Amino acid sequence: MSRGLGWNVVLAACLLFFAALIGLPFWWVLTGSIKIPQEIIARMPTMIPHSFTLQHYQKLFSASDYPVYLINSLIVATASTVLTLLLALPAAYAFFRLRFPGRAIAYRTILLAYAFPSIVVLIPLFGLFAKVGLVDRLPALILVNTAFALPFAIWMLRSFLAGIPKEIEEAAVMDGAPTLTLLRHIMIPLIAPGIASVGIYAFITAWTEYVFASVLILSDAKRTLPVGFSGIIGQYQIDWGLLLAGASVAIIPVVTLFAFVGRGFVSGLTEGAVK
Amino acid sequence: MLQSRAIAFAFVAPALLFLAAILGWPLVQAVLLSLQDVRVIGSPGAFVGLSNYERVLGAPAFWRAVGLSAVWVLANAVLQTALALAAALVLNEKFPGVRIARTWIIITWIVPTVVVVVIWRWLFSTSGGMINPLLLQAGLIERPVGFFATPWTAMATLVFINSWRWFPFIALMVLAGLTRVPEELYEAARIDGANAWERFKSITWPLLAPTLSVLAVIGTLLSFNVFDIIWLLTAGGPAGGSRTLPVLIYETAFKGYRLSEAAAISVIATVLLMAFAILATRTLEKGEER
Amino acid sequence: MQSWLRDSDPGIRISDNVIGVPTGKREPTMRTLLKAALAGATLMTPASAALAQDKVELTLWHMEQPPHRVQRVQEVIDAFNAANPDIVVKQEPQNWGEVYAKAPAAIAAGQGPDLLFAIPDFTPILKDIGALNSVEDFVKELDAKHDFVDSAVEAYSYDGGVWAVPLYNMAMNLWYRKSVFQEAGIEVPETWEEWKAAAEALSKDGVYGIGLPANKQLYTDQTVYSFMVNGGATEIYNEDGSLRFDNPETVASYRFYADMHKMSPADSTSWTWGEAEACFSSRSCAMVLQFTVIATYDTQAEGDAADLGVAAIPHAEGQEGHNTISYANAVMILAKDEAKREAAEKFISFLLEPENYGRFLNMEPGLFMPVTADGAKAESFWSDPMVQKYKSQIETVIQNAANGRLFGFTSGRTFPSIAAISAQNIIAETLQNMVVNGQSAEEAVAAGQARMEEVSKQ
Repeated sequence: MSRGLGWNVVLAACLLFFAALIGLPFWWVLTGSIKIPQEIIARMPTMIPHSFTLQHYQKLFSASDYPVYLINSLIVATASTVLTLLLALPAAYAFFRLRFPGRAIAYRTILLAYAFPSIVVLIPLFGLFAKVGLVDRLPALILVNTAFALPFAIWMLRSFLAGIPKEIEEAAVMDGAPTLTLLRHIMIPLIAPGIASVGIYAFITAWTEYVFASVLILSDAKRTLPVGFSGIIGQYQIDWGLLLAGASVAIIPVVTLFAFVGRGFVSGLTEGAVK
Repeated sequence: MLQSRAIAFAFVAPALLFLAAILGWPLVQAVLLSLQDVRVIGSPGAFVGLSNYERVLGAPAFWRAVGLSAVWVLANAVLQTALALAAALVLNEKFPGVRIARTWIIITWIVPTVVVVVIWRWLFSTSGGMINPLLLQAGLIERPVGFFATPWTAMATLVFINSWRWFPFIALMVLAGLTRVPEELYEAARIDGANAWERFKSITWPLLAPTLSVLAVIGTLLSFNVFDIIWLLTAGGPAGGSRTLPVLIYETAFKGYRLSEAAAISVIATVLLMAFAILATRTLEKGEER
Repeated sequence: MQSWLRDSDPGIRISDNVIGVPTGKREPTMRTLLKAALAGATLMTPASAALAQDKVELTLWHMEQPPHRVQRVQEVIDAFNAANPDIVVKQEPQNWGEVYAKAPAAIAAGQGPDLLFAIPDFTPILKDIGALNSVEDFVKELDAKHDFVDSAVEAYSYDGGVWAVPLYNMAMNLWYRKSVFQEAGIEVPETWEEWKAAAEALSKDGVYGIGLPANKQLYTDQTVYSFMVNGGATEIYNEDGSLRFDNPETVASYRFYADMHKMSPADSTSWTWGEAEACFSSRSCAMVLQFTVIATYDTQAEGDAADLGVAAIPHAEGQEGHNTISYANAVMILAKDEAKREAAEKFISFLLEPENYGRFLNMEPGLFMPVTADGAKAESFWSDPMVQKYKSQIETVIQNAANGRLFGFTSGRTFPSIAAISAQNIIAETLQNMVVNGQSAEEAVAAGQARMEEVSKQ
């Protein structure tokens, strides 16, 4: 599609606006984390650092269990992703294709779970987990995060399935393929990008969750990154350098992960998320 | 047929049972809690009927929180959708680096909320922050502005931060809708001499509207539940100016130590939200059946 | 308290229906093992696992979460563990923002800590769910040995018991830079009039004369009360337990505070401790009210010890002497098991021994002041390099702390409703009604008293 000059200028202006809106905060955080403290809190801040120091990172890693938090977060997020997909895939397929009594009600109920003020269940859930010995254990977080991601995952997978041409599926059914085989060998490969997107959605949901992780986990060795990160901030003082270093380290792993799978996530989303 | 029914149940049951255990059962507990007079977690309470509901519904603080929640949801929906639509239209164009832009726009969403909070708290602060000096240098303000200083600005700033986090995600969903608009339609319109705005109005918008309405519903549900950003940045202040329902629930339970009353507010909030969700999905399903 | 997690405020609710809850009492070893065998490893809590090994394991929760404090506490714990092979203490730092929700929940779930740090308003809530036993005898014993500051013990003495062991003190002071005062030709203010004149003279060139918070949060409670104690409004209760918050002295204190607040940065309505310190460090605020700014000043500002000024908080005209708010922090013993309680007492005794005490206090130099007479003289306290460097400032702080008061814990007028009042930050809320909602001091204070009466009744 060809564009006029005027349109190009508007486009460039918009691009610049969005690049600044999204990029600048991250630029400031990353560069801030290597400035010396005096430069960080200077009344006239600098766009490009005038100083260079790794002292904030040294402090971060010497004094807090950041690597442990990181590993905990990765465990929780990965396990939540797997569990979400295991539960959501068959359910989404059933809601999409199979006929059974109560289907509409069940589907609506699941969507309602999506409309759930999650804070409501914080206290009762603590009681429930206390009874089964899950307080202060990572599986508790995996269960919670899966519950939060599941409704959206089912909804999204269902619309991906709806995007598959009906002829392909019918051909398979004619060949007499059982439901499971059909799902495993035909449907799943066809919606692979969609599955990747849903998986990443579940991963990010778990990766960023804070409130439940902060209450359900009691000991330092089991904290996730968001909770550990909130812990490096002093009660009576703000060490912006340390915070910015912490923020940078919290950003880098997901960014790295995203560098590998990001494109798949985005194309998955754009190909099938919304019917 | 019977077999396929069994398969269907086998497929659906795990997810349903899971949600029933992790969300449903605690919800039942919350309802039971709301009918008692428990103050601190773990302490026993007596059955008091609906008196918590009476107290909550008679409290101005509750109605104020309902109002603020409505403002919060509406403002977020408008800002997010506007930003997302603009971003999606840009990303739908062809320019060098469009693939990179499409992938990395989402970065605001993959960062933990706590980190988002710290970033913006720092950038907006009057000592050491970035925004105030920039505005000063540009001559837009004369003295540093307290973004969280008054109820109105605090709410606006929070809406901005939350929308900043979410709009790229929604932009990609909108982009998905956009890529489905056949190019031929635009070509035809161009031949008819329609300008960019006319093309947007007569082609893009009508085709995009259903997508946008689905997203608006999702966005509403998502932003209603936002708690951590508000709590960590303003704790519902100043002077209660950003105390939405989730904040009120947390505050009542853990600062006021009125657990049962908090449960009653939760139940009412759930009912409100569910009513909205049912209404919205009905409307959307009707649209789908067209 | 976690400075940007704004919910650090103590929440306490006292009522008759709150009875004892299941506590963290451990079951006998055999049953624990049986249970573990039956239910799998999920039921094995670390504590019950430790029991099997014949060592007493103690879990300590504290809210001193900054890394360097955690590190210092660990050093002290390591020394204790080495000296007491039969006891293993381990720390789990928490943050003030969550501990009010978490501690009761964890105790109810049987996973509470054995030792938990406290501030005066936090203790009643745990006492009321039956998690505490009086430690009066133990405190007496320690008092005989180390001589506690009386006010520190008083803050934990009520309802016929002593509910926590005082550990350290914190008091508000006025911080400034000597060179800045000199340049502006200002003497250290003694009275409110002088103070206001100083703040006005210092408000120029983008510098704020004084940084005062107006957030609905504990820090604001503390600074407002620091004005009140210097304006003759120390008592908020009458002797009979009725409230006397709404009186001319309180009104005058609020009016003066709101006046001074006009010279503070615009975002001070959302400040907690950290922002005030940052404002001072970056030279944006000429004066701040703070427990200490030493660590930040030393690491993030110029760190020139000779230039850092600290003074007592000025008082109203017609008042005599300088007062301040002081917070005695303490440790509660939650363990119910006899062996654990004994071990906990051993650990606390160890902390308060002069040779260890200073090392413990200096986890944040200049913030934590000794609450014992022999601690105030302890070599371990004064030999710290940071304390050496800022010796004169720290001496002043300790001196100021001697005139410390805490709202709701003055003149023996301690009434349970103070817990609810401070939990909901009504002192700060009253100020916000003035500076955010534009009420007059009279209206705001009258409304404040009404709110206090309302939450006291519930």
